[in-house]
Formats: sequence, structure tokens, C-alpha cells
Amino acid sequence: MHNINPSIKAGTVTLAAIVIAFLFDPLALLLYIGWTIAVTLLFGKVQIRKYLLYLLPFTLFAIGMLVSTLLFAKIPENPSVTQQFLFWDLPRETVQDALALAIRVFSYSTLSLLFVLTTDKVAFILSLIQQCRVSPKLAYGILAGYRFLPLLKDELTTIRSAHLIRGAKTNTSKFSRYKQYTIPLLASAIRKAERTAIAMESKGFTGERDRTFYRTYHTSWIDWIFAAVMLGAIVLCIIVSKSFQ
Amino acid sequence: MKSWRMKDIVVMAALAVVFGIVYLLFLPVNVVMMGLIGPIGTDIIFGVWFLVSIVAAYIIQKPGVALVSETIAGIVEVLIGSSVGPIIILSAIVQGLGAEAAFAITRYRSYHVLVLMGAGVGAAITSFIWGYFRGGFVALDPSYVVLMLVVRIISGAVISGLIGKAISEALAKTGTLTSFPLGKTYRHRKAG
Repeated sequence: MHNINPSIKAGTVTLAAIVIAFLFDPLALLLYIGWTIAVTLLFGKVQIRKYLLYLLPFTLFAIGMLVSTLLFAKIPENPSVTQQFLFWDLPRETVQDALALAIRVFSYSTLSLLFVLTTDKVAFILSLIQQCRVSPKLAYGILAGYRFLPLLKDELTTIRSAHLIRGAKTNTSKFSRYKQYTIPLLASAIRKAERTAIAMESKGFTGERDRTFYRTYHTSWIDWIFAAVMLGAIVLCIIVSKSFQ
Repeated sequence: MKSWRMKDIVVMAALAVVFGIVYLLFLPVNVVMMGLIGPIGTDIIFGVWFLVSIVAAYIIQKPGVALVSETIAGIVEVLIGSSVGPIIILSAIVQGLGAEAAFAITRYRSYHVLVLMGAGVGAAITSFIWGYFRGGFVALDPSYVVLMLVVRIISGAVISGLIGKAISEALAKTGTLTSFPLGKTYRHRKAG
């Protein structure tokens, strides 16, 4: 899993998510969720505990989705056909729609985790340049910006200490505190970005396309098989689910 | 894209990183809002997710900035480890297109407050169409869906348009933007 070309992996996951957007069959979705989790855990060398930890917020999100759809559903065509759901009798159509939606949210999360947990971030950007013809100027700009991430945390500590030492009010409302930190944080990020851009250019970075790479990424038949299998599995899940009904 | 300086791109990326974090921080807020008042809770705060488009476009004032900055924010979210996954990049592109359209209509000449609000509205509309299919709004009551759209448009205009303008201008006041169009207009205003 870790060796599959990041661009193709991202493309496959995105395509699968788009196909799922048009799928309302809960059983097929459940089957596909099982399939995605199995692929991630078996071929992705992901620890089960770590996986469950990542999945937790999405489970909450899916439950939120389920409850809200049940409460705000459209008026069903035959409201007399009801189904027992936990403790209430609700129109069957509503229950089915709500379940499908919640399961769908859940299947997006499993697809995303398949990508996020098995992909190196820098490899993804480099592969975007090499396979998807993203402009190197843009891609390296993004990588440079991404490197600010840990610096921002330090910056926040600096700003906080600066406020403290100068006796700025700290017991203000939450909103004004946001303002107190956001503007200096953004300002220093912009200054840093300007300096970085000048440094990149002064070291001979032109952003032209005919540059060479230390790390190269290629696509092979294994990548395409992965894409075909992941997308084919959706069709298979639909067929299996249909044969049960 | 040709007219972009390296500086423009890295500043765009830096803004995208900061707002990418803000976007991720708002995901749990979103879950709470949804739990409390249903799917429409998302729409009330949806304008937050267009902020970078408006801020970056207003600061840099070049074609394509609204679209690309939002896209970078999406990529940054994936890099940080948003578990929404790569599809968030597609959502970001869709939102960025909506915001970009408003600036394109004025041929990138006007950055009036109405245009900024228009960009928020544009992003609200395109993101709603996208969400309609992705989120399966089909299952909801049609009149409720219309209400969601209206709330999201207002949120786009107010949160991303007005607050985005306020953030950009507060930044211009600090003097960090002197090499960008917004900073220049500010300096002129001061001198005049």
C-alpha cells in the first residue's frame, strides 16, 4: 500500500467517493466499508488501535448525521409503512434514507483513512508534480508553506509571552482573544513566507518544468491494478447486495 | 498563473496553512452545531471555509488567487491529516471556483466590499451544489433544503466576505503587506 503511486491512490479514493455519492443502498455501502477497512489493515500495515482512534470522530459525525436526517427528513411517499427503529416507529423510507446517509459518511471516512494512513505527505506533493504535471513553482511553494506548520506553534508561544511581558490584557472575551492572536500570527507568517520566497529564488529555484528530481516517482501496472480492484469492488458490492434482496 | 511571483505563491501557501488549521479546528464545531440544530447548523458557520479565498484574493489581487489559495488550503488539510481525505481537495476546488467567479466578473479590477461578499456568495452556491450530491440532501425536506441554501449564502457573505475583509485590512495596517496591492493602497491612503 505504501508503495502505490500517491497520485493514483488519491485519484482512486476520490473517484470511489464520487461513485459512492450516487449510491443509496445501505448494504452495498456496508460491504464496501468492510472491504476498505480490510484493505487498509491487511495491506497498509496500520495498527488496529491507531485506526480505531482515527475513526472515532467520524463515527460521532456519522451518528450526528443519522439523528439529524431522521429529524429533518422530507415527508415520505407512504408514511403508513413504518419500521421499528430503536424505540420509535418511523416511516420506513425515512429510516432507510437516514441509515444510508450515515453509512455513506462513514464510508468516506474509511476511504480517506486508507489514503491518509498509508501515504507520505512529501511523496504526495512530489508525485503531483511528476505525474499530474502540477507546476513545480506551485508545488514547492506549498511544501515551503507546509513547513511553517511547526513554526506557527512556536510563534504562538512567542506572541503569548510578548503579550504577557508587556502587560496586555489576557482576561478579555474569547472573541477579542482570537483577534489578539490571529493578526500577529498571520502577519509573521506572511513575513516568513516573503523571506522564504526570496531565499528560494536566490538559491536558483526558477520553478521551471524541466528540473531534475532526487526522488522520482513512477506509475507501474500494480498501481493501475489497485485502482481497478478498488473501483471494481464497488460494482461487486452492488451486485452482491442486489442478490440478497 | 504566469504573472505570479514566487512571493505570491509562498504567501498564499502560508495563508493556506494558517486557514487550513482554522478549517480543521472548525470541523468539531461543525459536529456540535449539527448535533444541536441539525444539518442547517453547518450552513450557519459554512462561510468560515471560504475565508482564505477572500483574504488571499484581496491581498494579492491577481487572477486565480481565490481558486488556488482555497485549493492549497484543501491540500494542506490533507497533509496535516484531515481524515476527510483527498476528496476535500475537490470540495476546495469547487468552493474556490465559486469565489473566483465573483472576482472574474469584475475582471479583477474591483475589490469593493460588495465584490468580496459576492465571492463568499459564489463559494456558498457552488459548495451547496456539490454538497447536494455528496451529502445526499435529496433525502431532506425540499423547503428545508432551500432554507439551508439561504442560510449558507448569508454565512458566505457575512463570515467570509465581511470578516475576510476585516482580517485583510487589519493585516494591511500592520505594514506587512507593503509589497502587495492591498498594502500599497493602504500606504497611499495614509499618505493622502
